[in-house]
Amino acid sequence: MKKILEALESVGAVVHFFIEVTRSTLTQPFFFGELIRMMWLLTKRCLIPVGLAVAPVGAVISLQGLEIFRMFGLDRMLSSLLGTAIFREYSPALASVMVAAQAGSSIAARIGTMRVRGQIDALAVMSVDPMRYVVVPGVLACAVVTPLLNVLTNFLGLFSGWVFAVPLGGVDHGAFIEHLTAQVTPADLWVGLAKCWLFGTSVGLIAGFLGMRVSGGAEAVGKAANDTVVATIVMILLVDYIVSYVLLGVGV
Amino acid sequence: MKTFFEFLVFCRYAVGAQFSGLPDRRILAEQLYRAGVGSMGLLTVLTLFAGLNLSVQSYSTFERFGGQDFLGMFAGIGGVRELYPVMAAIVCGARIGANLAAALANMKISEQVEALEVMSVDPMRYLVAPRLWAVALALPLLCGYADVVGIWASYYGAVHQLGLDGGTFVSQLQEFVHLEDLMVGVLKGLIFGWLVALVACFHGYRAAKKDGAEGVGIATNRAIVHGAVLCIVLNLVISWILYG
Repeated sequence: MKKILEALESVGAVVHFFIEVTRSTLTQPFFFGELIRMMWLLTKRCLIPVGLAVAPVGAVISLQGLEIFRMFGLDRMLSSLLGTAIFREYSPALASVMVAAQAGSSIAARIGTMRVRGQIDALAVMSVDPMRYVVVPGVLACAVVTPLLNVLTNFLGLFSGWVFAVPLGGVDHGAFIEHLTAQVTPADLWVGLAKCWLFGTSVGLIAGFLGMRVSGGAEAVGKAANDTVVATIVMILLVDYIVSYVLLGVGV
Repeated sequence: MKTFFEFLVFCRYAVGAQFSGLPDRRILAEQLYRAGVGSMGLLTVLTLFAGLNLSVQSYSTFERFGGQDFLGMFAGIGGVRELYPVMAAIVCGARIGANLAAALANMKISEQVEALEVMSVDPMRYLVAPRLWAVALALPLLCGYADVVGIWASYYGAVHQLGLDGGTFVSQLQEFVHLEDLMVGVLKGLIFGWLVALVACFHGYRAAKKDGAEGVGIATNRAIVHGAVLCIVLNLVISWILYG
């Protein structure tokens, strides 16, 4: 009974938090400077880890895909597999996982630290709504920065795939480009960007929620940062699968 | 750059402590249980969806040139060689690595590590070595487990959701996925696990008392990010050497 009540309580807390964030985003006052600062901070922090994580994936797809495609003499078609896999799947998912690992956990840790030190309460005492000043900029910054990073990682993934296919793998450059432009549609790009936006928003929301719930000491801060990453990765893979399945059914 | 050299120095001491004798059996068992059994639930859920997604996603790619029937081969090779080991490593980094870093950083900022030193217990041998052993032993097993769950999920997705022929899927697996592929995956697991544990212990150990609660958060964050990036980059290097 106690467990059921606790579960219901956390569901209620999530819903309440979500409504509160939406309301704070849509109404005044809005701390625009804080949003810009967060966006800059996130971009600066995530750029290198996200790039380093996605670039090798394109190379690995080329490496393994080439071996498989060679069996059927299809190695000229490699770029169509590479393009769709990068644009639709691996670049958005991996970029979001890295944003969760880097930005999500640091946002949760930051809010948690503020909570532990009583800075959140201090803000409230100064009649600055902590929701508006601390949580909303984080959520919006994640929602904007993740798709932007995805654009970059699309190019990085494609480029590293090209390096492993054309100069190292011996695929003809013209064939690579031709199949890329013929098989990869703008829809692939838009699906990836929409996924990133969705994942980024959820990273910000989960980080804000778990950060605000911190109570206790240093250990709770570490736990909130960790839980954020774990919860977001589960969410990303689950939603990713549902989106792929629905899109396959719709035929996009 | 300075951090990298500090990491190398740390590795030298940590690995030295790891191989200087057998770790305390009780601590090793506890850590092994936490790292291995504790991650299984999360890993199951993640590989389930990754396996399903691998089927659905490669189906929609292969459909464009009529190669759906080769899904079994693609899901098998791509999954066992690359996806599941990397996945296990990222999960391991996000959960086990972060836990290790947070626990060590917390001990460090509350000066428990110094207290151990005062009692002339070497913290490297008492704290770090059993954790390194535990994660390096647990991750290959988790990798093998992820292979099983992932392939089953791919099969389920291909046969029951996409309506492909089950016999074709299985025969493709038998024909194209060899024992060496599984061994490579498990070997990757061993290397990634060790690396993740080293990175996590390093960042946990670097936290100082003056950092306070923030130091724990930073250590956790860095352990996850550096662990994941290192594993992904190293995965490319290993694959390149083996298959390039």
